[in-house]
Parts: sequence; C-alpha cells; structure tokens
Amino acid sequence: MSANIYEGGTAGLPQFRGGASKTAERPVSRRTDAERLARAKDVILREVDGAHATYLETCIRCGMCAEACHFYRATGEAKWTPIYKVQPLKRLYQRELGPMRWLHRLVTKDVTLKDLEDWQELVYDGCTECGRCDLMCPMGIQISPMIGIMRRALAEADLLPKELAAVAEEQKRDGTVFGVGRADILALVQQLAAKGIAVPVDKERATVVLLTSAVDLKGFQGSLEASARILNRMGVDWTLLSHSIELLGTGESLRELNVRRLVDEVTRRDAAVLILPECGHAYPALRFDSAHMLGEPVPFEVYSAAEYFGKAVQEGRLKLRKGAGEKVTYHDPCKVGRHGGVFDEPRAAIKALGLELKEMESHARTNYCCGGGGGQFLIERAKPLRQRAFEIKMREVDDTGAQAVLTGCNSCRINYLNGGANANWKTPVRSLVEVMAANLE
Amino acid sequence: MNLLEFARGPAFNFALIVFVFGVVWRLAGLFLQWRRRDLSKPRQHNLIVAGTRAMLMRSLPPHELEKHIVFQHMSGYAWHIAWFISLLFFAPHLPFFKQFLGFAWPALPNWISLGAGAVALALLLTLVIRRATNPVLKQISTWDDYISVVLTILPLATGFLAYGRLLPIRYETLLALHLLSICALLVWYPFGKLMHLFLTFPSRFQAGALLGRKGVEA
Repeated sequence: MSANIYEGGTAGLPQFRGGASKTAERPVSRRTDAERLARAKDVILREVDGAHATYLETCIRCGMCAEACHFYRATGEAKWTPIYKVQPLKRLYQRELGPMRWLHRLVTKDVTLKDLEDWQELVYDGCTECGRCDLMCPMGIQISPMIGIMRRALAEADLLPKELAAVAEEQKRDGTVFGVGRADILALVQQLAAKGIAVPVDKERATVVLLTSAVDLKGFQGSLEASARILNRMGVDWTLLSHSIELLGTGESLRELNVRRLVDEVTRRDAAVLILPECGHAYPALRFDSAHMLGEPVPFEVYSAAEYFGKAVQEGRLKLRKGAGEKVTYHDPCKVGRHGGVFDEPRAAIKALGLELKEMESHARTNYCCGGGGGQFLIERAKPLRQRAFEIKMREVDDTGAQAVLTGCNSCRINYLNGGANANWKTPVRSLVEVMAANLE
Repeated sequence: MNLLEFARGPAFNFALIVFVFGVVWRLAGLFLQWRRRDLSKPRQHNLIVAGTRAMLMRSLPPHELEKHIVFQHMSGYAWHIAWFISLLFFAPHLPFFKQFLGFAWPALPNWISLGAGAVALALLLTLVIRRATNPVLKQISTWDDYISVVLTILPLATGFLAYGRLLPIRYETLLALHLLSICALLVWYPFGKLMHLFLTFPSRFQAGALLGRKGVEA
C-alpha cells in the first residue's frame, strides 16, 4: 500500500507578500538618524553578554565559517562569510564592552548608521540564521545568535527590508500576518467541521494547546486538518487557539510582546503541552528563548507538530499504517533541528510509516538550510541568491535517489516549492504530519 | 650592558610582566562580564559533559563540513604542533627552561626540532600569503592578524639565523635578536588574537553546553 507521499499540499504556490505591495521601496523612518543609530547600539550593548564576548575574543579570523554557509558555498562571494556579517556588532563590543576597549577606541572606527545600512543585505538577504556555521567554527563560536542580535538592532533602527517591515507593520496595525488572522482560522475550522473534523476552539481548559500559523492558513491548510485528525484519533483533550496565530514579530519589542501574550493564553488554560505548527521560526523562540524573556521557564512543554506526533509514535500512543517502502528523504528544518534538537522523533514517524529513509549527505545537525529561512523567503531582491542556495539542497536531495522530500516546516516547503518550480524540479515535497494523518491506523 | 644582556634581563622581565598582567586583565575583563542565565528546560541535563565533549570533538568536524576546509584546518594544527615542538624540545632551549622553571625535560634530536621549526615557518609563510590573497580572509583580516603572524614567525626566523649563524654578524647579536623577538611576542600576546590559546577551550565548552542544552552535539 502506498503511504501517499506524493499527494496533498497546496494546490498552487501561495503568495506571501503580506502588505509589501503597500509600502514604498525604502521604508521611511520617522526617527532622526541619531536616534536610529542609538536604538541599534542600545540593542547590541544590552544583548551582548559574557558568552558572546568570549566568542568575539576567541575568533582568529580563519574564515572557515564561510565554507559552512550555503550562500557562500553557492556563490563564492566573500561578503557572505558568516563572521563578517557581525562586524558592526564586534566593533561596538570591542570599543564599548571589551577588556581592551581603551585600545580599540584608538584603532577602530565607531559604528555608523551607514554601516548598519550596508549590513542590512548581509544579515537579512544573506543569512537565514540557520546556524550551520556554528558547527563549523574550530573555536566553537556561535555566530547565528549574534546575527539575531544584529537583526534586532537593525529592526530597531528602522532598517528592516521593506517586505519584513510591511509584515511587522501589518502585525502591529491589524493583528494579522500575510493578511490572515482570527477570522480566517474560524472560517477554516468551519470548513473542517463540514468535512467531519472536529476542531475545539479556545476551550477554557485543555491539556494540549495547538497553534496554527499564518503560513499554514495562507498556503497549507492541510496542516491544521492533519494535526486535528491526529489529535482526535489520539483522543487528546485539546484546543486550538484562535487569538494567537503563531507569529513572533520582527522587532525586539513585538517579538517579546507576542511571546508573553501566547504564554499567558496557554498558562491560563492549565495546558501541559503547547504544539507549534509546522513552522520553524517559533520553535527555538518558545522552547528555549522564552524563558529568558519571561524570567522563568514556561510552565508547559513546547513541541513542534512533527516532534509531538513522532514522540507519540515512539511511545506507542499513535499507530500508523505502513506503506510500501517508498524512498524518502527528510529535510530537518534548521530552527527545529539544529536550533532545537528535534531529530529522532520525525525519523521514528518515517520508520513507522514503513518508508525507506535515504539521508542527504548533510542531514540532521549539519543539514543545509532550504535557502529561505529566517524570513529571507519574503525578500524579493534576494530571490536569485535564494535560488542558488536552493540548488545545493536540490543536488543533495537528488543524490539520495529519494522519491519525495518530507519535512516538518511549511516555510521550508515554500522554499522547496518555489525553488523547485524555478528549476523545473519535480520531486514532491510533503509535510510529514500530513503524511502521518493520511496513514492513521 | 650589551644587547644580549639587555635582552636576557630588563627586556625579558618587562615582556613577562606585560604578558602576565595583560593576560590576567583580559581574562578577568572577559569572564567577569554579565552572563545571561539560561532558564529554559534543557533537553540534555549534563551540560558539563556536553561542554567537555565539545572541547575535544570540535577539533574534528563532521565529514560534510570538514571536506571543504581540509588544507586550512590541517595546516593550522600542523604549524601549531611544529612550532611548539621547536620551542619545547630543541636542545639549546632546554637550559633556559631549566633556569626559568627549575626543571627541564629531554630534548629531541636537533634534526627533528629544526625540521619542525622549518615546517612551522613554511606553513606560516604560506598561510600569511593566503590571508593576503584569499578574498574571504582578506576581507575579515585586521592589523591584529598580520602583527600576530609576523611576531610568531620572527622567533623561528631569528632562531634559524642564530643557530646557523646565517648573517655576517656576531652570534651574540643574533641570539639577542632571537630573544628580543620572543619578548615582542610576549608583549603583544595579551592584545591580539594570540589569546586564543587561553580562550579556545572556554569558547568550545560554552558552545558545547549551549548546544547540549538543545540536545544537539556540538
């Protein structure tokens, strides 16, 4: 029997432009240049701690991190060297925080707004915060968390790329992302009810809370359906939150606000488990970073959908129908895998489905990014760069001989679908959770 | 006081004071900085094991990463090992260690120590040329990189000059230049990237513990 690895997914490629078309080519800041620079510096000086300092002091500028970066590997352009992308942060650290700051103030230039403008392309277009460079560095330097600081600093200086600025603006103004919000969730729930799939919404108490995402609502509605079908089959006491679509915000304050709001919603329901949708970027933020934002660990377990259902398979709480041994490969979403440690559970599900897993050369912790993570897939001008990075991924998939790619992140799916369409690449890319839902025993 | 006496006496003592005080200053300034306490629930509980493992295992990255960096990676380790062999096991150096530390150890045959020194010198020269010409390295290099490599090469170069009496000047002067090059290295040490000798393992440990918390092998 086939495990339906070729069917399902989106009918056509969704457009994730959000409000980008409404914005000017270059967003205009209402702040003065001095204010913008001060805000950016403030973020860096506040967020850089002793751990970052140790990394910055240890760097010997060997450049090996470049060889881990899909953008450098794809283009050979030196500007994509990961450690170069945090140069302004390093300079500011050396001049203001480092133990040798008195020396560096004499020999290095201060960071200017022009520097930050110049670095916008490097940290947004040319980095998906995938963290592969973090594994390469012989000194153990973790560059991707410092890219995160750079991004938050640039956001505070009103230097988000226009597409991301539009999404952030829409979030603040309308509470929606990509034009979708609570009304769309409720409409989808009604559609699912018409198909006989019960989705309990906003129950006062529930053991498990499920979120959906703007990406799912816009392009992959099968994801919510799949999660609902599996949870119903497992007989779990669950509810879907309609107020909090999984979104984190692009600026520092918005991100924290959204995390706090979400944690409050889940805590209020006495939930033991929060399941995040098949969307990578929220996972490390809620699973690991939220404790820092809140000053205490969250009082519930955080899982990604593929992780939760894979764990249920491992524990025997979820039975799946075995397929006919089709060859598949698994794409580890960077934020869930390398940044989250979720490797075994999806593979347990693939095994339970009776599929033959053909691993890519770079898989699990060394997996290559799909090329569009960290919001990069929204940036129009980065499309050629994204495509070249995706070609690495395509080659690795092709080398496995797999008949389909499974993954646990719909943002990755978008990049596979777009990149594949551009290259006339026919390998199907499926949601692991959807394949599981199609094969419930 | 002649040049050799100056190099052996005041110059070396000054260099040693700068070295010790500078290293302590930089390490203290670094390790006393505030650190974010990670309150998240760890996936792996023994973070000391994870950190220690990373201190050792980071020397050998997985094949899919290593295959693109073989020359640079291996040449880096090779010159370090060769440099320290020539420093620690070259017979003429051991009386100095005996006098300075109160004890010494057996020397290696001179052909091994000198061979190691030659390998270190050749690799350092190759790597500095590579740094000046490779687009990635050129872009990220600073004055620190060039000062550090020159000051690492100088003791080797002057050592060969003195041992082989390769310049038509007095041996004592050549020896004094060799000692002064070591003084220069010690003085520069705390200010630049050479500090990675003290920082590599703490940095690797941190990375191992951070990734270990997430259940990822560093």
